[in-house]
Amino acid sequence: MSIVLSVTDYSLTYAGGAQALIGVSLAIPRGRVLGVVGESGSGKTSLAYAIMRYLPAGAVEAGGPIRLGETDLRTLSQAQMREIRGARIGMVFQDPSASLNPTLTLGEQLIEVLTRHKGLRGAEARDRAEALLVRVGLRDPAAMLRRYPHEASGGEKQRVVIASAFAAEPECLLLDEPTTALDVITARQILDLFAELQAETGVAALYISHDLALVSRVADRVTVLHRGRVVEEDAADEVFRAPREDYTRRLVAAVPRPDVRLVADTPDTTAAPLLAAEDMTVRYGRPSLFRRAPQTTGARDVSLLVRPGEILGVVGESGSGKSTIARALAGLNPFEGAVRLGARRIERTSAMDRAYRRAVQIVFQHPDASLNPRHSIGRILSRPLALYGAPEGVGRGDAIAALLEEVQLPASYARRYPHQLSGGETQRVAIARAFAARPSLVICDEITSSLDVSIQAQVIALLLRLRERLGTAYLFITHDLNLVRQIAHRIAVMYRGELVELSDAGTLGGPASHDYTRALLQAVPTPAGV
Amino acid sequence: MPDLLRRLLRTPQGAIGLAIILAALVMAIAGTSIAPYSPEQFHPRARFGGPSAAFWLGTDQFGRDLFSRLLAGARATLFYALAATLLGTAAGAVLGTLSAFLGGLVDEVLMRIVDAVMAIPNLLFTLLIVTVLGASGVNALIAIGIAFTPGMARVTRSVALTVRRQDYVAAAIARGESSGYIVLREMLPNVVGPIVVEATIRVAFAVMALATLSFLGLGAQPPSSEWGLMVAEARPYLFRNAWMMIVPGFAIALVAIAFNLFGDGLRDALNPRT
Amino acid sequence: MSASYLARRLLSIVFTVLVVSLLVFGITQVLPADAAVMLLGENATPEQLAAVRTRLGLDQPVWWQYLRWIGGVVRGDLGTSLETGLPVAGEMLTALGRSLLLAALSLLLMLVIAIPLGVIAALRRGKPADVAIGLGSYVGVSMPEFVTATLVLITLGHPEVGLLPATGYVPLTENFGEGLSRLVLPVLTVSVILVAHVARMVRSELVDVLGTDYVRAARLKGLSPRRVLFRHALRNALLPTITIVALDVGYLLGGIIVVEEIFAFPGIGRALIVAIQQRDLPSIQAGALIMATTYALANLCADIAYAALDKRIRYA
Repeated sequence: MSIVLSVTDYSLTYAGGAQALIGVSLAIPRGRVLGVVGESGSGKTSLAYAIMRYLPAGAVEAGGPIRLGETDLRTLSQAQMREIRGARIGMVFQDPSASLNPTLTLGEQLIEVLTRHKGLRGAEARDRAEALLVRVGLRDPAAMLRRYPHEASGGEKQRVVIASAFAAEPECLLLDEPTTALDVITARQILDLFAELQAETGVAALYISHDLALVSRVADRVTVLHRGRVVEEDAADEVFRAPREDYTRRLVAAVPRPDVRLVADTPDTTAAPLLAAEDMTVRYGRPSLFRRAPQTTGARDVSLLVRPGEILGVVGESGSGKSTIARALAGLNPFEGAVRLGARRIERTSAMDRAYRRAVQIVFQHPDASLNPRHSIGRILSRPLALYGAPEGVGRGDAIAALLEEVQLPASYARRYPHQLSGGETQRVAIARAFAARPSLVICDEITSSLDVSIQAQVIALLLRLRERLGTAYLFITHDLNLVRQIAHRIAVMYRGELVELSDAGTLGGPASHDYTRALLQAVPTPAGV
Repeated sequence: MPDLLRRLLRTPQGAIGLAIILAALVMAIAGTSIAPYSPEQFHPRARFGGPSAAFWLGTDQFGRDLFSRLLAGARATLFYALAATLLGTAAGAVLGTLSAFLGGLVDEVLMRIVDAVMAIPNLLFTLLIVTVLGASGVNALIAIGIAFTPGMARVTRSVALTVRRQDYVAAAIARGESSGYIVLREMLPNVVGPIVVEATIRVAFAVMALATLSFLGLGAQPPSSEWGLMVAEARPYLFRNAWMMIVPGFAIALVAIAFNLFGDGLRDALNPRT
Repeated sequence: MSASYLARRLLSIVFTVLVVSLLVFGITQVLPADAAVMLLGENATPEQLAAVRTRLGLDQPVWWQYLRWIGGVVRGDLGTSLETGLPVAGEMLTALGRSLLLAALSLLLMLVIAIPLGVIAALRRGKPADVAIGLGSYVGVSMPEFVTATLVLITLGHPEVGLLPATGYVPLTENFGEGLSRLVLPVLTVSVILVAHVARMVRSELVDVLGTDYVRAARLKGLSPRRVLFRHALRNALLPTITIVALDVGYLLGGIIVVEEIFAFPGIGRALIVAIQQRDLPSIQAGALIMATTYALANLCADIAYAALDKRIRYA
């Protein structure tokens, strides 16, 4: 087996002194896929750019060669590297909307690779480009070549990026989170396409991702990176089934697995509903003085209810209307239809009074945007206490300390500001703020999707512990099916603004399920061995 | 505040800008009391002089000491520019916040009018207002303030709308805070920063506009030694003694540079994430 | 871009001009100037004054006077100068033509200098060239036109140097070389502030674009640095600059007032200053309205250019 790409004992330090990679070694034979898994800050992206010889000024390298075939890439000049980039090593990036130039046609961006590395011009280049687009599964390639990026869907754009990565028939391919920015079903199609092309061309590939479950499905072998070091390397399913190292074990344990329930109890189904949405429709856009802006419907005739202490999961891809419903229930979007809190029927946002606001709290996706950057943590937590009162007999300062303790943060954090905390810590503060009002329902709007998987596991554990103690119900909105199947009692599936299914977590995807739900479930990569 | 100052001084623009502004302020406050001569005193034997030991920056056509005149005029230039900016910023901030807060039809109509007024080139607008009010330093100040208002209203509105869309404002609404609290405590501290930056940079424009009006004879009137007026008075003698023009001209540019630098430094320092 | 978008934009310009006309008319109404007295002199009898007032319609209500004026504007009649007794329109439009020549040459010179400077600064980010260009642009934006103009006058325009004629205007059609040489100093002066401002904008836009994912992607496709810069980066960096340049036309028109005054250049700016000094109401109204309309049209051109170049924006 000939090794296409190898890195030996390679270290990289950035200008500021941050060590990105420490003694990293790896080798990829022809026709194989090596998965590189790591959380943010693990150095996985630095590794890709080190291989591409695309490092910022002041980066210091040490250790062994980076070989492509027989060539040590480290000895090449930038001019020589330009002959290799795109020709012998192709690259696919995370977000096709960002990695394609918005003002050039898709055709030009594909053809320039053929011109540069294959010397093709004119009709010849166009024919080759069309053939490539057909190969990546795009119908009507001639039309696609004429389009601009904003005229194509995310999946179509990523197919074009993949086409240009394969255009010069490289021997090696680097993929940096190529499906992270895509919806579940599209991501699955892109993965299948990649697997097909990879098998056909025998290209050696380095597949970088934060998603261990996904990597274990795509790769032959997996390298786990942690703080710049290789922690473990093994066959893909071995890493998952029998992790040897402590860190890997913790990482694997943090990956959501739909077969492992984290919530044992079931809420009382005979209890009166806590909160209900009745035929809720949410529209955006206001008519203007000079033009009648067409209103878009964010959600249409959605009815659902949450029982006391229940976790209701809401899943759907971006634009499905799941966050729209969350914001309407939190009184942030005007709506048609009604909301029922206990026995009260509420028909407009302005009718959501103190009692409602207190009972229903919301936690947002991006904690650094939902905490005022100019307020200290103590001040942020003091607001709900000022509005709804601290627990009896407790001073404001003690109450804040107690809240911080509840979310496992030191009391001294009260004096800090949001930007001085990590992402996981700020999300804990946001959770503490929601719980300070002692609500009966907390709406969690994608609260873990900007967090690393191990941090996500901690936040989920925290939420479940709080629920155990306080009996709070959750409306848990997420795009992560594996995660929601671990914790939700019932799951609502939304698609293009409509609620297409609402069923028990256990029966989701059964024969009675909606087509879309089943497509969704099939597309989700479950960890190897499950 | 000391934290902000430290961050400001860490940026080279901020440090240099602040140093020049402080020096200019000292000049303006101390003014004639530290001047070597009276700004009106004639020295008939030293007319059209270049810099010398007796007259540091030279003399004008009556032999008046340029340095003393510069010090005396600092007040008319610097304080008036600050006051004009303050006027325009305050009026614009009220208008912009109101427009953003009320939204809907009021917002739309108000902003259409602001856009239309902004279609008049700024200096032309200022000239027209001064023409109505009559040529004087104070009227120039008022005119510049009025001319700044629509621009500041636009800036304030767009900043306020950006802040309005932030999740922390949504969080405050969801938790049932009063409108007053949301506007004053959640939004205002985040709106003030960018507006202060914008206003600081506009002081530079105000200095330049004020001097320009005086130069055109529509601002400060003789015997004032407002810097723009000094340049205007130097015009007939440009080729006899260039210092008469260079000294005030350089002073205007230096103060304007200082406010531009200071504003850019402030922008960096106010960003909590850097 | 659709016809309806264009129609809407034109409509908004009409609105703008309308508001400006109201404003200008309002301002001139408050002016302490009596047109009748100005026409006839201090010694006129009350009867004569009354007759002139009736002829000019000054005894009518203000809104009627406005309607009469704006009605005239629509028909291309901007009124009669109180000073010369000639129709204002012809005079002002001739002056505008000269000013537009000055403005166009300044814009051209600015683009030729500012874009390369901005590009160099962005490519040499943090290096001496960048620092020097940055400092230069701070100085440039901080010098009022009258200071730049006088500086230019005592250096390039110095009679002892005899390099260039300092002031005045000769039509290009009359004597091309002579006319052009008299444009050099005004154009240089007007350009300074614009160059400084636009070079800064180009630099910061290009720095942003060079940091985008798509530029990185282009580099990692092995494209040549030239292609990356010209085909991928510069295009996108210059798009927002179009808007900035259009806004700068506002400064430009303001600056032209001062520059024309200093270099005795008979453009619309100078005509306006003269009108203000003479309190010649019809001329002030016409000059202000023409300048504002020119500015509004410049912004429209920028929007159209932007829409034509940026494929992402589709004006429905």
